[in-house]
Amino acid sequence: MGKEECKTMLDALNKVTACYRHLVIALGSTSDSQNLREELKKTRKKAQELAVANRTKLTSLLKDKSISKEDRAEYERLWVLFSSSMELLEVDMKRSLEIGQEFPIKVPTRHFIQTGMTGSTNAVAARAMSVQNMKYEADSNIDTADLRDLQTEITQVTQMVEEMEMKVQVAPWAVVAKQEAGAELKSNMSVGNSSVGVISICEEEPKDDESGGAREGRSASIGAVVVFFVIVGVALVLGYLVINMS
Amino acid sequence: MQAASLNLLSKHLVGMVTPTSRPLLLLHIFIFPFQAEMILLEMQDPNTGVRSQPQRLVITTIPHAITGEDIVTWLADRLQIDVQEARSFGSMLVALGYIYPLQDHKRLVIKPDTSLYRFQTPYFWPTQQWPVEDTDYAIYLAKRNIRKKGLLELYEQEQYNRLHKWMNHKWDFIVMQAKEQYRAAKERKKPDRVVFDCQERAYWVVHRPPPGTVSAMDYGLDRRTDPNADETQTSDYYERIMIFTQQAIMRPRVKSSVSIGALVKHCATYIGHDPFLSACLPSNPWLTDDTTYWNLNMSNVETPTKMRVERWTFSFKELLSDPRGRDDFRLFLKKEFSGENLAFWEGCEDLKWGTAATMKEKAEQIYKTFLARGAPRWINIDGKTMEVTMKGLKHPHRYVLDAAQTHIYMLMKKDSYGRYLKSPVFKDTVKKAIRPEEHKFNDAQLEQNARNRRPSLSPIILRQQEQELRAKMAANAPVDITQLCRFTTPVPHFSVYSGIIDPPSSNTSPSLPFLPHTPICPSPISVALDSTSASERRLEASEGEGEQNTEARVPDRGNVSKSRVALSLRRLLKRGCSPSAMFASLSPKCHTAAATSSRIQPITPDEPSQAPPRRTGNFFQIKVDIPPECRIYPIESEDEEEENRLASEEVVGTEEIICPWESLTQQNGTG
Repeated sequence: MGKEECKTMLDALNKVTACYRHLVIALGSTSDSQNLREELKKTRKKAQELAVANRTKLTSLLKDKSISKEDRAEYERLWVLFSSSMELLEVDMKRSLEIGQEFPIKVPTRHFIQTGMTGSTNAVAARAMSVQNMKYEADSNIDTADLRDLQTEITQVTQMVEEMEMKVQVAPWAVVAKQEAGAELKSNMSVGNSSVGVISICEEEPKDDESGGAREGRSASIGAVVVFFVIVGVALVLGYLVINMS
Repeated sequence: MQAASLNLLSKHLVGMVTPTSRPLLLLHIFIFPFQAEMILLEMQDPNTGVRSQPQRLVITTIPHAITGEDIVTWLADRLQIDVQEARSFGSMLVALGYIYPLQDHKRLVIKPDTSLYRFQTPYFWPTQQWPVEDTDYAIYLAKRNIRKKGLLELYEQEQYNRLHKWMNHKWDFIVMQAKEQYRAAKERKKPDRVVFDCQERAYWVVHRPPPGTVSAMDYGLDRRTDPNADETQTSDYYERIMIFTQQAIMRPRVKSSVSIGALVKHCATYIGHDPFLSACLPSNPWLTDDTTYWNLNMSNVETPTKMRVERWTFSFKELLSDPRGRDDFRLFLKKEFSGENLAFWEGCEDLKWGTAATMKEKAEQIYKTFLARGAPRWINIDGKTMEVTMKGLKHPHRYVLDAAQTHIYMLMKKDSYGRYLKSPVFKDTVKKAIRPEEHKFNDAQLEQNARNRRPSLSPIILRQQEQELRAKMAANAPVDITQLCRFTTPVPHFSVYSGIIDPPSSNTSPSLPFLPHTPICPSPISVALDSTSASERRLEASEGEGEQNTEARVPDRGNVSKSRVALSLRRLLKRGCSPSAMFASLSPKCHTAAATSSRIQPITPDEPSQAPPRRTGNFFQIKVDIPPECRIYPIESEDEEEENRLASEEVVGTEEIICPWESLTQQNGTG
């Protein structure tokens, strides 16, 4: 059904937007690097593809006059989700352009801000691209070359957003959200969700395919539990021996 | 290319920063944030920048922590300023969000000791062209909600609820995005996660400050044009300069000795009362978060403070503008039996500041209560002012009573004010006035005060309370003794009110209570009568005959022209009063109005019966009957035949009725 497809695509766009934001936050800091720029580029491209796909799908659905009222309300809600995602993406892209221009990689006198972040962001990017590992194959002048592409892409996105606002007659304030306050607490935000696969999110709660490796924290806590039991076992054995001895 | 510009700008910045230019420095931080960014970039240099050390947490070690004292010394070195100034510069950087503290994250200051700070990532730098979005804040709060499992701080909770209400249409998006961002953040390693959390939290502490913190982000309104940008020097620009200077030349000038003398006098008088320049007793609430000062100086407080009472002696304006002072003055005037002056003045203020819809009624009320002949609280203004006012009342507007108000104000100022300051009422107040002790809070108490800050009563509630108070006051208002002239007020009217004065014939005709309308159409300043409906009925009964006599007397009048004006005025008021009767029916004492409203009939049938000169098509006519023996302003005509007056008063008393339509309709009804 069109609705399910739409939702899946929207969720994917949502995920990519979130990851893109994380990557942009790392720009200019000590976790910046050529890899980061490449990740940004790839994520951005993916976001654009998803955006275009979503837009065509949703506009075709909304243009359809023969849909019922509930359906229409649902599509309007999805449209609001989509347009909000696009707004975030647009802002993030503009900011990445600005920060990218301010912090070129290769200039030796230009130092990155020592923010305390030193790790790499490839896991985030991998999540965005829905792959296991990121492959880096860009040239060394990616920062300057990419910036030009980025500018064109920003204009494209801005145009798309404007078009959307003009053409689609959806009143965003009229949409009633399905989630109530505190809905984010309802999902099972358990520790071990490293979903590097496709996530299918339905309306109320996310069901994660926990098909991924265990997280560090998780392994650490498991290790702690194991150690604890080992110690208890040893204590019991020693006690038994002591009692036996006496 | 950027390195060169960096050097240039840094030199520029150093050149601007001198020990005396601290306010300039702060100004520059606000106007040119990129200069701060230049400094920040220089700080990052591993060789010449600020020394960084690792921060050891329980499990992890996070690099790039800097100590406050390192920052301060580096700044002092680099910018060639003294330590104090370096400290304030550093505090500015922290307050703006370029550096954030790792301990005590809500206090955005540089502590020049070993407390740790860290640089903020460029994404979170405060730049003007990236406005802080509520959507982002909502996403952040949702993420925090997830992390804290629902236990947000109080102010965060409030913000969350507020955003949920106002951004409800986007809420699905916010929840989804929050979850996704939370998951994406988990993809990073533990130290980076900690740093990211700290960064985000610091960003929102700067841009959505928790209560009890000072925000450096208040920069005022966004303006369409930048006032600091250079203006192009077109001919229009020069023309404006010319016009300005021409007008400046034409302005009336005061000798500088005079104006400076006035300034000096003002400063000398008020220096003790200015909380910026001298201590505010008990303590300045803005500094110590202790609201005793405001509680002691509320408008309805029983005993004012000594400072406040002292202020009343500075000028009459001070006395009137302070509500407590005005109360005191009102009490004094009540004792002196000249309360109507203040009441009139207040009524005029009410008219000036009130809504346009109520202006007409208010003007009528004021006229009926204070200005008309025989008004219950007649005020004493001179003839010319009265003429002007009457003329203006034909077409009432906001400032129609300005002349009269000024006259009364000067009267009060020159006469009553002086006596007030020497009166026992004032002396009593001065004796009872309190001088509160100065608070001496130590730091812990100050922090506690800051924590215990609570918002005060909403202004809506305060206004409601004020209105209730005023209504209560109007209900219990003491009736003034109207002026000494018996020409203005027919004696019978005193019987209606609780008799504070007793002119000789006060009790002769209790059967002729005076104004049927004043109880029916109360205004905030009007006197509420003790009159009962019985007295009103009596009045109505006598009105008919009164009016007959009025008709008879009209041709006998000497100054017909004046009466004509007055008549037309009355005519207008008559017309105008019928809708006001509707409004009046809303007031508490208006049950009688409902009874009499049926008697208020349209004027037109009456018109032909009146003498033609009276008829004017004016909007607001007030007719003032002038008994033939008196002139309009009885103060001047005290020597008129009193017996004649007294004799005719019984009958003529009803001539003084301000709303003649009432009597006319009586005539209609009865005649």
